[in-house]
Amino acid sequence: MSRTWSLALRRAALILAIFAVWELVTGGYGLGIVLVSPAILARPSTAFAELGPYAQSGLLWRDLSTTLSEAMVGLVLGIVGGAALGLGLAYARGLSETVEPVLVSLNSLPRIAIAPILLPLFGLGIASKIALSFVTVFFVVFFNTYLGIRSVDPELVKAVQVMGGTREHLARFVVLPSVFSWIFAALRTSVSFALTGAVVGEFVGASSGLGYRLNIAAGLLDTKRVYLILLILMVFAVTLVEIAKRVETRLLRWRPATTLGA
Amino acid sequence: MSISLDRVSVAFRSAVEAVHEVSLEVARGEFVAVVGPSGCGKSTLLNAIAGLLDPATAEVTGRILIDGVGQRERSRRDANLGYVFQRDALLPWQTLLDNTQLGLAIRGVPRERRLARANELMAMAGLAGFEHYYPHQVSGGMRQRASLLRTLAYDPQTILMDEPFGALDAQNRMVLQAELLRIWQQTPRTILFVTHDLAEAIVLAQRVVVMSRRPGQLKAVHAIDLPYPRDAFALRGSPDFARLETTIWQMLRDEFRASAGATA
Repeated sequence: MSRTWSLALRRAALILAIFAVWELVTGGYGLGIVLVSPAILARPSTAFAELGPYAQSGLLWRDLSTTLSEAMVGLVLGIVGGAALGLGLAYARGLSETVEPVLVSLNSLPRIAIAPILLPLFGLGIASKIALSFVTVFFVVFFNTYLGIRSVDPELVKAVQVMGGTREHLARFVVLPSVFSWIFAALRTSVSFALTGAVVGEFVGASSGLGYRLNIAAGLLDTKRVYLILLILMVFAVTLVEIAKRVETRLLRWRPATTLGA
Repeated sequence: MSISLDRVSVAFRSAVEAVHEVSLEVARGEFVAVVGPSGCGKSTLLNAIAGLLDPATAEVTGRILIDGVGQRERSRRDANLGYVFQRDALLPWQTLLDNTQLGLAIRGVPRERRLARANELMAMAGLAGFEHYYPHQVSGGMRQRASLLRTLAYDPQTILMDEPFGALDAQNRMVLQAELLRIWQQTPRTILFVTHDLAEAIVLAQRVVVMSRRPGQLKAVHAIDLPYPRDAFALRGSPDFARLETTIWQMLRDEFRASAGATA
């Protein structure tokens, strides 16, 4: 117990130290040491001071909820769609051999590069961001599902077959649990991908959202606002990934702990 | 005859012949062990009997009958076959209790009865208290025990065992051998037991079949004239055991030598 406490303390101290040094080199504490111009790197205290007006204007909550809904809807659709196609193709071998090069090519395309074409397709609203978020998650989940089915332990398949298991039994006892483990193992990556998709989508064109606000602040050279939003995004992402990690640990509790830590 | 093999050969599409014209009759309730050097096709033979070879990669010729019926003439479920793998092959996402009742679930046995049977078996095998553990949380010995219970749970008439204790340490191996003997003496089922451990074969089986190196051929069959009930521990020190081990080893030794030479 004391070990975990001391670790938590050391970690907190490191974060505080980073902010303290940052504050110092950007002209903080009234010492007048300015190693980096505030136009490039905002002083943390001035960035935090922006939080008050941002929150009071009501924009913070609106932006947070916009980005969160885009990312979450994209995440869920991406998981469902990716898993469905992965399962479907794995069972239709002939089709999968045909489709594979197309999917691999699409996958090799940097997903966020398609953001500009999503705008005319889905408009300035939430739909185009969901679409980008969906596409980024979809491929991760699809390839994981596909791999998951290909890497089903043949010995488990044999064990169920020799007991007289049908195709349905195989799916229920072996294939689906194995695939789910691969999908959930990719949950953390999927969550950060979903968030990236939402934020980049907002860069390209939107009327609210953290990415949209960040882009505007950057255009106005409002460095304080930029750093504030970056910090908010970081906390937001860490929270989501942590939730994903807990869900994963819970659902994959049958796994040896060593693979969970990865 | 419980298992009847008539000139069974297995050839892989890669043109490698794994098993060559093996003929063997195993009587109902008989315990037969198959020994041979590794890679001699013992496991392939078991897989062929269980019908687990992929016809796309392996061609099985000859006749395989279980209780007088061929594989194509009835479903695997009706063949009522058990198979214990070298690696336990437990479902990692199910608890030991759920794993134990897998065969019963496949047979559509109602939940209540399934649970009762699984709990009874686990208590018998000293696994009480571990029902809700996942396989990775228990030792290799306990996993293999659960794997054995999973097979016994649906009461198959014929059980194929592919080096089931091969991955265990010497201590656990002896304990499980003794347990298997006890279970078989209580309720005789037909057991075809593949192993590379000659001592294990002698301790357990009524007959020991010696297979040659690849392509695996039946080289000799030895009756093990040791009376049951056998004590798996005491037996190993007895002169009868030593005599049998020497006799069979002389036959086996050449195969091991040749096999080692071939792979070196």
